[in-house]
Amino acid sequence: MLKNYIKIAFRNLWKDKSFTLLNLLRLSVAFAAALLLGMYAFFDLSYDQFHENKEDLFQVYYSEQTPDGQELATSMPVPFAPALERELPNIKHISRYISDHALNLEEGKELDLRLIFTDPEFFEMFSFETLRGPVDVLKNDSQISITEETAQRLFGKTEVLGERLNLLVNGRNEVFTVGSILKDIPVTSGLRFDAAVNFTHSPNYAENVDRWDSRNHSVFIQLSADTTPEALTQSAVSFNNLHYQGNIEDLKRDGAQPNANGNYLELNLLPFKDIHFADFKGDYLKVSRAYPYMILGIGLLILFIAGINFVNMSIARSAQRLREIGMRKTLGAAKKQLFFQFWSESVWIFLIALLLGIGLSLALESPFRQLFNTPARLTDMSSSTLVITLLISFILITFIAGGYPALVLSKLGTLKALKGKLDLAGKNRVRNALMVVQFSIAIVLISGTLVLGKQLDYMRNKDLGFNKEQVVAIPLNGKRTNRQNVALLRNELAGKPGILSVTASDNNLGLGKDGSTYFSRMGFDYKGRGVSTNMLVVDYDYPETLGLQLKEGRTFSRSYSGDSLSIVINEAMARELQEEDPLNKQLIIDDSIKYTVVGVLKDYNFQSLNKKIEPISLFMKGDWDLYYAFVKVAPQNMAQTFESIEDAWKRIEPNAEFLGSFLDENIDRTFKRERTMTTIISSGSLIAIILSCIGLFAISMLVVTQRTKEIGVRKVVGASVAQITFLLTKDFLKLVGVAFVIAAPVAWWLLSQWLQDYEYRIELHLWIFLAAGLLAVFIALFTISFRTIRAALKNPVESLRTE
Amino acid sequence: MLLQLNHIYKWVKQGGKRVFLLNDISLDVEEGEFISIMGPSGSGKSTLLNVIGMLDEFQEGEYIFDGEPVHSLKEKQRSKLYKEYIGFVFQAYHLIDELTVYENIETPLLYKNIKSSERKALVADMLDRFNIVGKKDLFPAQLSGGQQQLVGIARALIAKPKLILADEPTGNLNSKQGEEIMELFKELNAEGVTIIQATHSESNAAYGNRIIHLLDGSKQLQP
Repeated sequence: MLKNYIKIAFRNLWKDKSFTLLNLLRLSVAFAAALLLGMYAFFDLSYDQFHENKEDLFQVYYSEQTPDGQELATSMPVPFAPALERELPNIKHISRYISDHALNLEEGKELDLRLIFTDPEFFEMFSFETLRGPVDVLKNDSQISITEETAQRLFGKTEVLGERLNLLVNGRNEVFTVGSILKDIPVTSGLRFDAAVNFTHSPNYAENVDRWDSRNHSVFIQLSADTTPEALTQSAVSFNNLHYQGNIEDLKRDGAQPNANGNYLELNLLPFKDIHFADFKGDYLKVSRAYPYMILGIGLLILFIAGINFVNMSIARSAQRLREIGMRKTLGAAKKQLFFQFWSESVWIFLIALLLGIGLSLALESPFRQLFNTPARLTDMSSSTLVITLLISFILITFIAGGYPALVLSKLGTLKALKGKLDLAGKNRVRNALMVVQFSIAIVLISGTLVLGKQLDYMRNKDLGFNKEQVVAIPLNGKRTNRQNVALLRNELAGKPGILSVTASDNNLGLGKDGSTYFSRMGFDYKGRGVSTNMLVVDYDYPETLGLQLKEGRTFSRSYSGDSLSIVINEAMARELQEEDPLNKQLIIDDSIKYTVVGVLKDYNFQSLNKKIEPISLFMKGDWDLYYAFVKVAPQNMAQTFESIEDAWKRIEPNAEFLGSFLDENIDRTFKRERTMTTIISSGSLIAIILSCIGLFAISMLVVTQRTKEIGVRKVVGASVAQITFLLTKDFLKLVGVAFVIAAPVAWWLLSQWLQDYEYRIELHLWIFLAAGLLAVFIALFTISFRTIRAALKNPVESLRTE
Repeated sequence: MLLQLNHIYKWVKQGGKRVFLLNDISLDVEEGEFISIMGPSGSGKSTLLNVIGMLDEFQEGEYIFDGEPVHSLKEKQRSKLYKEYIGFVFQAYHLIDELTVYENIETPLLYKNIKSSERKALVADMLDRFNIVGKKDLFPAQLSGGQQQLVGIARALIAKPKLILADEPTGNLNSKQGEEIMELFKELNAEGVTIIQATHSESNAAYGNRIIHLLDGSKQLQP
């Protein structure tokens, strides 16, 4: 029996080659798209999930109730972690963590390493496997732990225990002994580094070791299994009252309101497994896996559309097999047997399509990874639960998409089937509903594409308040001190064609090629109130080079001698100070040093566009370090000028990599997620639209066949080609209309939710959704016009003769 | 007695009025009979055959087949009954295009869950008997009309039915092929198979040993 079914199935598939091919093509494209999107989503979801202790691992953050509302902070003072471990129960392990860079000074192997400063317990908390050497290697202050890959890069081999490493760390020359070799950091790890040393080597450790008012690192904690984060928050109240007494009193003085638990300052824990999905918004913490789930959702929608199409097309095509069904029934086939026969035919198609889809996704894997900038691999997906999930969803799809038409066909009456009459009046409702769903999905995806594209465009083209087109930012990663290098760069570039000015600061704008981001903030008392500001250390000509607009006062200038005690602030900082006229006001920062405000800059977006512009103060202290040089170039021959900057840098630091880039590239780099999302949604909607069109085409074919006689009669009694085309098209347009009514509000809601994440965002206008709807209408019209017009043009004599 | 129809009525509603397809049909059929049903188009020949073949329902009356009251049987039992005892031959042959001659003949056996070896033997016998061994791997489209009907009859006979229902079996054939088919029916009847055929043609009807005339769903006493 089974053999018989298989034989018939293949003969049928073979007989209708074009149909089978179309089905296979559609389904395998859908499977491939779903697989790739699933790969992307599951990869994203698997971030940081490989740690064995992940359930007990947390990052510490503080929420502080300021008069302006809640502020969250993840950076901690140096004595915090040891004190917490000493004074509170239930802390199994705790470790401080700073991610930095170091330069290997070995002649000829001057490599930049991602170095972390952390505590010895770090490797007991996190599952970064030690291959050689002890796990608690960092207990020895002079030892360094490096990954296999790093060992290979530095020494050309991995058996390097006991080798010496000479590193330039924060301007200091330090020698370490390789104490352990780590397995390479998994790609799904959010913590990424090449080497780790004890936290005592971290910048300014000695001066900060007992200071509670200087915060510069993250703290990770492993709770004992029998306690909860809430319990720790509770038991930390007295800890905070003891160590942060001054801060809490200041907050009370400034008129802050305590939070729901009655605390002004509260220690909170963010589960480590959520870190990849967490976004510290400044005043609140948002943990959301919406992004990977949305991508997974798009994959499922594509599968869903392909499934709907399959159902509709199978039913449409079944007209040709009615006689066979009737015949089989008279020969004694039971419903069950017929169901099984038709279902198994679908299963074959699905199975072949799945195999083709897997092949297709393997073939498209590397372009996909490039396009979407992801290290995810299909082979990573072979874990058993995933395979089972995929298997179950595959069976479910074949069961529903293959089973429904089989059920409809097996239930047909024997005589009706024998006479070849397909009585599908009731089934039209199902079909119409499916079409509406399909169009709704298409409309949601199209409007998503439009809105995302517009938002991305808006962010790219928004005037950020500085000149991003003409300025090159260069991370200072040389062997000399950064101040020396800035001076050398100035000299090298002086008078070169196309160079307008050179400056430096301690922070980049956007995301540079060095891939590092950080921010520095400080708080101080002003007129009996606590205020806080971002800090930026700059060199001469900074506002001029960046094209920042001066609102009042002046910027730093070589003609004033005392500018190391001058500061330039932005408008937001003026508001923070609550000064109408902030010029010449004196701020006492760092206990006793008096700074004078000499200038006010217009607000500019020095942070990402999903944040409001915060207060910032520019300092010009000769003894504070600079990390980035900025060069403004003339708008002509920019590529050439860029090369001359690179050459200049190569002459100054022949062994350091040149990582300079224009600021607009840097800004663009911060939109990576938005870009990926736009690409995914637009390619998703493209696939969805193509699949919908194929489905619609099949349905129009069926409808035209069903109504051949009606069309003939109407023509005989005088209907024109246009009237008939309209008659046939009308029903489809109604469906698209219904789909629009359903999809537009859904899309509106989803997209406005998404836009909430952006402080600077476009307005949602009705025309976006109308455009998406119209596009859907046009695509639908275009697709069905092939069949309807042909049917309308047909000689009625022919269509009537069929009876 | 093989089957008995008692006052069978079948109608459809059209514009609120009943239009009778079968109007008070009573019929006794003994085993071994060869009955021809005659009548113009729309007289109810096919409907009557379908009712006898249990493919179609009726609204009133009794139908007893081999002692079983068909009108009160469940779908499943009815299906079991006709699978066991009834074979169909159609005017348009109704062979399954995707199956070879061999497979077409085999199909009823599949639905009766007969073992593979036994199936092979039965089909081989049938091919032999109808002299179509050489054609067993051909598809219906590769055969002439007469040959297709031969396969149709072979398929109807394979399950060893007691009753063959033939709806215009020669309607699509030329006169020579038609004659051959009728001769075949006569032979089968001689072997003990009961046959009921619907036909237009007087000469074909004459092969039967009883003729029933239908007009507008009613049995006519005399043509």
